[in-house]
Amino acid sequence: MSALKKLTLTEPELVLALQSKDPAILKTLYSMYSSSLYGVISRIITHTELAEDVLQETFVKIWQSASHYDNTKGRLFTWMMNIARNLSIDKLRSKDFKNSLKNQDIENNVSFVDEQNKVTFNPDVLGVKQLVENLKPDLQAVLDLVYYKGFTHVEAAEKLELPLGTVKTRIRLAIIELRRNFN
Amino acid sequence: MSVENLKAYIESGVLELYVLGDLSPEETVQVEEMASRYPEVRDEIAAIEQAMEQYAMQNAVEPSADVETKLFELLGLNEEKIIEENFPVTPVPSIKTEEPKIIQFDNNYAKVRNLRYALVACVALLVMSVAALFVTYNKLNDAHNEIASLNFDKQKFAGVVSKLEFDNQGLSNMAEMNDSKEWATIRLEGQKFSPSSKMKVYWNKQNKSVLINYVAMDLPKTDAEHEYQLWALVNGKPVSLGVFGGDDKAKEALLKMQTIEQAQAFAVTVEPTGGSINPTMDKLTVMGGV
Repeated sequence: MSALKKLTLTEPELVLALQSKDPAILKTLYSMYSSSLYGVISRIITHTELAEDVLQETFVKIWQSASHYDNTKGRLFTWMMNIARNLSIDKLRSKDFKNSLKNQDIENNVSFVDEQNKVTFNPDVLGVKQLVENLKPDLQAVLDLVYYKGFTHVEAAEKLELPLGTVKTRIRLAIIELRRNFN
Repeated sequence: MSVENLKAYIESGVLELYVLGDLSPEETVQVEEMASRYPEVRDEIAAIEQAMEQYAMQNAVEPSADVETKLFELLGLNEEKIIEENFPVTPVPSIKTEEPKIIQFDNNYAKVRNLRYALVACVALLVMSVAALFVTYNKLNDAHNEIASLNFDKQKFAGVVSKLEFDNQGLSNMAEMNDSKEWATIRLEGQKFSPSSKMKVYWNKQNKSVLINYVAMDLPKTDAEHEYQLWALVNGKPVSLGVFGGDDKAKEALLKMQTIEQAQAFAVTVEPTGGSINPTMDKLTVMGGV
């Protein structure tokens, strides 16, 4: 797997192969994006097994609805990330998820908490991560809710007891902060 | 739309929500329309997407390996087939450099599989060898027993043959003695001590030698301390002609005794081993006159 990990194709190449349903491209796509998509999923769903189920469902959906992707409307990753986020939020609200939480025993929780901390960072950009963590607390709170917790901006406004406009502005400011760090 | 209005639109935060997938279908269509009309909107969306993508990359978490396996099983895609197939798109150079690694892994796998087969074959061979050895061992035991019984038979036959030779020697001698005019045959009859005993003594008229024949003899067995002694009666006096054992101790059917020039009778007594000077008359076994 690590051998394939370094395979990179440009987005147009990926899209072309994905839409022609070439099985090899799914492997490439998986090696390129599984960990970043899993990063998004596992922030929303902390239960490892369920999060991995969602990751699998995400790739199934990517594979099956590749023809719906329109590159004029945005990047491939944005499309995939939104599939992952939507499936995660659906799972979070499903009966399945609520049941599994009740069934967790203490022993599982220990390893489960450990696994949650196994975040992989790209060492080349550790400094960037540091900057992201230094976001102003009010920006961080909003970003956490919409990005990590799967909240809509409406839900985030209710949760934080803020006007809708303020939430939208803070999301924008947070992302601008990220853009500044990455560019 | 004026530049100010466009700026306000961009700054409203709707584009961020668009990228996050947090807009209603109607709002989404609106944003897409704006993007197709204004390059500024398009560029802004692209920048937000880049930032979100980078952010996701920084926060990547490695899922467990079996998710991938399960995924390909679920989609019914054969992984081996995927590895063998070439990419239809122009492959980046790294594909070619990574390919030998995959082949090497397959070779190792094949090697391990071959070794496993070899191990199974070895075990099977061992089991068969042990079984064959066991069968051979049993056969060898049977052969040993057979050899022992054949050896026993051989000894038995050898015994019979030597007995027959012994008898034959005696019998042929008896026949010769009867035909011959040179030899005189003296019959010795049983006396009071052993009435049923009898034997023959052969006396050569020319060289005066004396022979006895175990085959032509019927004397009781003596014990370990005694043997028979042959006497010649010469003018009423006994002269010893030598001792002889029972027929069970004899190697030859014929036994040559001492010569005697003249004798009127022959007699046999039981004496202590080695013989006596004078015959023990109460143990006179057989006697016969010439």
